[in-house]
Amino acid sequence: MTPLDVQREAMLCSGHAACPGCIDALTARHVLATMGPDTMAVIPPSCMAVIAGPQPMSSLRIPVYQPTLESSAAAASGLRRALNATGRRDTQVLVLAGDGGTYDIGFQCLSSAAERNEDMLYVCLDNEGYMNTGAQKSSSTPHYARTGSTPAGKTSRKKNLVEIMAAHGVPYVATASASHLPDLVRKVEKAKAIRGMRFMSVLIPCLDGWGLPDDAGLKAARYAVECGAFPLVEVEDGTRWTLNVDTRTRPVAEYLSLQARYRGLADDEVAALQAEVDAAWDQLLARSRARGGAGAGEPR
Amino acid sequence: MNQMIPPPVPTTWTTATTEAVHTGSWRAALPRYVQAPSPCHLACPVNGDIATWIRLARERDFRGAWEALTRHNPFPAIAGRVCHHPCESACNRSGYDEALSICRLERFVGDHAIAQRWSFAAPPVERDASVAVVGGGPAGLSAAYQLRRLGYRVTLHEARDALGGLMRHGIPSYRLARDVLDAEIARVVALGVDVHLSARLDTPAAWAALRSAHDAVFVATGAQRQKRLPGLDYAQPWVVDGAAWLAAANAGAPPALGRRVVVIGGGSAALDVARSARRRGHAVTVLALETRAQMPAQREEVEEALEEGVALADGAMLVAAREGPGGLRLACVRVTFLPGGPGAPFVVNRVDGSDFELHADAVVTSIGQDPDLAALDAALPADGALLAVDAVQATGADGVWAGGDVASLARFVTDAIGQGKRAAQAIDRALRSRRGDAAARRDWAPGPAAATPRDAPVELASIATHWYPRQVRAHAPRLAAAARLAGGDEVQLPLDVAQALDEASRCFSCGTCIACDTCVVVCPDLAVRRTGDGYAVLGDYCKGCGLCVAECPTGSMDMVEEVR
Amino acid sequence: MDAVADAVADAVAARTLLLTGNEAVAWGARLARPQVCPVYPITPQTPVLEKLTEFQAQGVLDAEIITPESEHSVMSACIPASLAGARVFTATASQGLLLMHELLHYASGARVPIVMANVNRTVASPWAFWPDHTDSLAQRDTGWVQLYVESAQEALDSVLQAFRVAEQALLPVLVSLDAFYVSHAMEPVDVPSQTEVDAYLPPFAPPRRLDTASASSWGNVVSQDMFYRHRVALQEAMDGVPALLAQADGEWQRRFGRGWGVVERYRCEDADAVVVTMGSMCGTARVAVDALREAGEAVGLVKLRLFRPLPAAALRAALAGIRDVVVLDRNHSPGAGGILHQELRAALYGAPEAPRVHGLLAGVGGVNVPPQRIAAFARECRGTTPRPESVWVR
Ligand SMILES: Cc1cc2nc3c(=O)[nH]c(=O)nc-3n(C[C@H](O)[C@H](O)[C@H](O)COP(=O)(O)OP(=O)(O)OC[C@H]3O[C@@H](n4cnc5c(N)ncnc54)[C@H](O)[C@@H]3O)c2cc1C
Ligand SMILES: Cc1ncc(C[n+]2csc(CCOP(=O)(O)OP(=O)(O)O)c2C)c(N)n1
Ligand code: SF4
Ligand code: SF4
Ligand code: SF4
Ligand SMILES: [Mg+2]
Repeated sequence: MTPLDVQREAMLCSGHAACPGCIDALTARHVLATMGPDTMAVIPPSCMAVIAGPQPMSSLRIPVYQPTLESSAAAASGLRRALNATGRRDTQVLVLAGDGGTYDIGFQCLSSAAERNEDMLYVCLDNEGYMNTGAQKSSSTPHYARTGSTPAGKTSRKKNLVEIMAAHGVPYVATASASHLPDLVRKVEKAKAIRGMRFMSVLIPCLDGWGLPDDAGLKAARYAVECGAFPLVEVEDGTRWTLNVDTRTRPVAEYLSLQARYRGLADDEVAALQAEVDAAWDQLLARSRARGGAGAGEPR
Repeated sequence: MNQMIPPPVPTTWTTATTEAVHTGSWRAALPRYVQAPSPCHLACPVNGDIATWIRLARERDFRGAWEALTRHNPFPAIAGRVCHHPCESACNRSGYDEALSICRLERFVGDHAIAQRWSFAAPPVERDASVAVVGGGPAGLSAAYQLRRLGYRVTLHEARDALGGLMRHGIPSYRLARDVLDAEIARVVALGVDVHLSARLDTPAAWAALRSAHDAVFVATGAQRQKRLPGLDYAQPWVVDGAAWLAAANAGAPPALGRRVVVIGGGSAALDVARSARRRGHAVTVLALETRAQMPAQREEVEEALEEGVALADGAMLVAAREGPGGLRLACVRVTFLPGGPGAPFVVNRVDGSDFELHADAVVTSIGQDPDLAALDAALPADGALLAVDAVQATGADGVWAGGDVASLARFVTDAIGQGKRAAQAIDRALRSRRGDAAARRDWAPGPAAATPRDAPVELASIATHWYPRQVRAHAPRLAAAARLAGGDEVQLPLDVAQALDEASRCFSCGTCIACDTCVVVCPDLAVRRTGDGYAVLGDYCKGCGLCVAECPTGSMDMVEEVR
Repeated sequence: MDAVADAVADAVAARTLLLTGNEAVAWGARLARPQVCPVYPITPQTPVLEKLTEFQAQGVLDAEIITPESEHSVMSACIPASLAGARVFTATASQGLLLMHELLHYASGARVPIVMANVNRTVASPWAFWPDHTDSLAQRDTGWVQLYVESAQEALDSVLQAFRVAEQALLPVLVSLDAFYVSHAMEPVDVPSQTEVDAYLPPFAPPRRLDTASASSWGNVVSQDMFYRHRVALQEAMDGVPALLAQADGEWQRRFGRGWGVVERYRCEDADAVVVTMGSMCGTARVAVDALREAGEAVGLVKLRLFRPLPAAALRAALAGIRDVVVLDRNHSPGAGGILHQELRAALYGAPEAPRVHGLLAGVGGVNVPPQRIAAFARECRGTTPRPESVWVR
């Protein structure tokens, strides 16, 4: 194997309160390390806020502002402008928000900040549910997944936020996964070099919420990418689409079978999910090919 | 009563990091950084630390790879050609796509060393004690080599006029080029082995003198006595002993045989006779009790023999031979062959009505050899046809060890080399009055100091295979059959550098940390740190999730339950 | 060149301009040199926003103006901007203020000295646009200092005083002015020079700020004990506000020749009855008091400028010896009545010879309360025993 050349000076500290094997913490670790010390974070209520530490301790070596659940992008805008106004334009503003705080309650201000092209890197740690409150559904929860508020399985599909963010025409939108760490780090580096609104959605298998063993978070993330349920993409200026991993190497069923939240799924439901993934995949592939971009970028 | 009142904790603005929180108390199991044997290492007759040298080769450190290889085996270029490579059958990669082409890689490294004229470093210390080695085949040479590296004075007695044993008078040059054989043997001799050629030891007095002149003796005289087929009259000119014929053929002057030759036997030796005879223009048929799949010869050898026009009558046996007007008439019958087990002989059943006849001008038998125990020191205990030895090759007679074909039914070059190595280690321990671990399992290059040695081998399940793209193994080309028959050149061609590097990159490095940092990088708790050339898990913070273990591409991490 | 010349002139010249209350607020904000101004339009506050963006376009306001999708985001942006060390100003009204509610608590908890103007407007439903204090009084428990002003001049002065108090107390301050009566009424306003204002209001220099150099974080979860202590500190900060305001106002008076006090007593000498109210109603009450005094009746006015923290000691002193207090509430707390009525009775409770307090719900929904009606209320109250509940009048 090729060694993972992603080691940077750590910006996340040991001793944080994440569950054993947490991919939220792992992802934050690498995003923070790549962003470096001249960064300020905005972290709304979510698992990440718990990981950030109980007063008077912080697990981040950079300053964090914790806003209300629904206001991350607005708070980050205020912070950004204050930094500009006080001669700190080079300091990066980084949002680390959950999917609930992004797709749902914080979506209005996110859309507005995107429309204003506010200068920030907004990273959605997408664990596909409200995990901090004990695993209820969000609009990012996929079809058929069981959560505390959808005990019989969710009846609607996952909101396509990448598409929505791309439609804002912001300079950079991307998805990433810690299972494909070099790709994730490359995207954060790329985003860091861009000014304006940069949005990334990173898939975070939640061990508790998805029903995974402690050591299986990266495996689930990898399967999600490999089966196409969570495609790795980049969208530049809202128009140039690139599918970074452009081959699917396993059926969706293999990904589903890892997770307790899909337990007891009927065959036709599995087939329906596969069909949804197929359709979305074809569309992405077509878009990516349209600009000659399929498979561009290094997946691993 | 003057108590210090601590300042109150600020209600906002953090003043410290979470490093004050020791989350290690959450866990029930702790990952352990280990160095563990790979299955190939355990299957390898010389316990050749395969993961280590392949890793070095992959990193283009061919010198390092050769040095790692030759810690166990002075003959990588030879073994890379003739080894029966049980390592490959054991290779973890075979459960993923295809086993590694370990043997071909070993040849690549060995050939490279010959081309570079690399030689062995002189022993770091010279010792006064002296050891006599009797027999200059692979077992004897291996022991002599290891003992010289340890600084002992070594005297080697060989009955013939050249070193190599069956590697020279058994294995033909189209499988093992003589310049390769010579180069690797010369390198061993150059270490300072006192070689006595044409020095056959066969009298009790000679053995006694030898024993008293040295601190230890290693007997590696091989198995010289040809087994004979009971129904055949070896006095007839048309009945030939395979080994003798082959030895002569290898030396360039084989006795003449008629045009049509039937070779009896299913092992490597029989095929070597057959193929050598083909190279001399004979029409050759191999008659073997075993079916093709059961034959002890390697699959590739059989394939190559067929390519070269050798006919195969497998699952059959000779019933009677008589001379007729147009030559020999060999009455044969089809049989079913049931292989025996340890202590149980094989069973052959004739298939009724399956008689057939072969026409020939000569019959060559190649059905195995036994040691010539009569020539040896009568004081040495025997075990049937073999010398009796224990797990470290000790004969039980004071100061005498034995190995190779003389003391083993594992009739392979690398088994002989491995026994020579183990005997040398045992001799060393005895001469230095050291107690030692008989097991060779841990006989691999020392890993990072931080790694805990573990005996349990690495299983495929503990390799994070997803790091390795699926890729079939390197297939080394073979010389075209016509060219083989015409020139007698080596049949197996070498891997080129690109192929070798590619193949080396397929290795999972089972149980041998490759310092890839994956464990460091995947820990959500930043609880794995590099320490020098190894890694350490920080017990204060590790929550025991097992991610580092699950993602390690080499199986160099395992989980150990903790009881608190 | 003209813009630069204007800017230089601005920096030196004090002058008198004809301004509406909204414009006066914007001028006050401009002179405070805010660095970040998130703002969202709502009638009747919109002219404040427009004036600010105009100032910025002219190059005389060097602030980052953010125009997000809602007042909620406005306040969300204000808080970290202030925590990062920027001076922050914004303005809103009515529904906008209510939409901010969660963040108003958040701001005071963060101890950020944001100054916000609020144009008091009825709270829907039903929809209406009239002066009414219910919007801001409904925020009385959010930890914001609340000032109520009577005129455009007071609005300008109060914005600047508010910044001084806010940054000393590390508390957010709300400056409320009545819809239309103040926000849109034009009057001559003395605009101080930038130099004079700079001398009065030094640059914002908080003791701590979000800073990569210190890497200290704000907002992590606290224990019960920490939360308790945090509230104690918040209360202490609030307790210090009347004195800080008095000082800020005194300093203002010394520099600019006019002051507004914390609690203003107007013609209360020997009065046996006093009208207590806030905001634009004070102007009307002054006319009523003048008329009553002319008629020989000993009636005065106590104007409450600082509503939060309620300056209870100052109120008790201002009302000592008065027999009847008539509270005019231009707000309504359903089920409770007038908010000032309740607060005042609570403040006077247990005072020796406490006055009789008459609570009148006058002007709720912006209905006009002319001076004659106020005079009549005062006369009637002197002759009746106060009712425990607030009484609807018009
Ligand atoms: C035709 C043939 C092909 C083979 N092909 C393969 C193969 O492809 N791969 C493989 O792994 N194995 C092969 N083998 C088996 C392999 O060669 C032997 O197992 C191996 O060489 C045994 O080594 P050794 O050192 O024990 O004995 P030997 O190689 O037999 O060496 C013994 C040496 O001792 C000398 N000697 C004997 N008696 C005395 C004495 N009294 N005094 C002094 N010297 C003495 C002999 O002259 C000889 O040189 C083959 C064998 C044969 C016969
Ligand atoms: C206004 C508001 N409503 C509800 C909550 C309770 N709450 C805290 S975290 C959370 C869920 C967050 O989910 P998500 O953003 O996906 O983050 P995760 O916990 O999954 O990391 C909720 C509902 C809140 N803090 N604020
Ligand atoms: S993968 Fe490499 S180390 Fe593992 S068994 Fe195969 S050759 Fe040996
Ligand atoms: S993950 Fe890599 S560095 Fe860590 S133990 Fe395994 S091989 Fe060694
Ligand atoms: S990944 Fe980290 S926390 Fe998890 S078991 Fe390994 S060292 Fe411990
Ligand atoms: Mg979530």
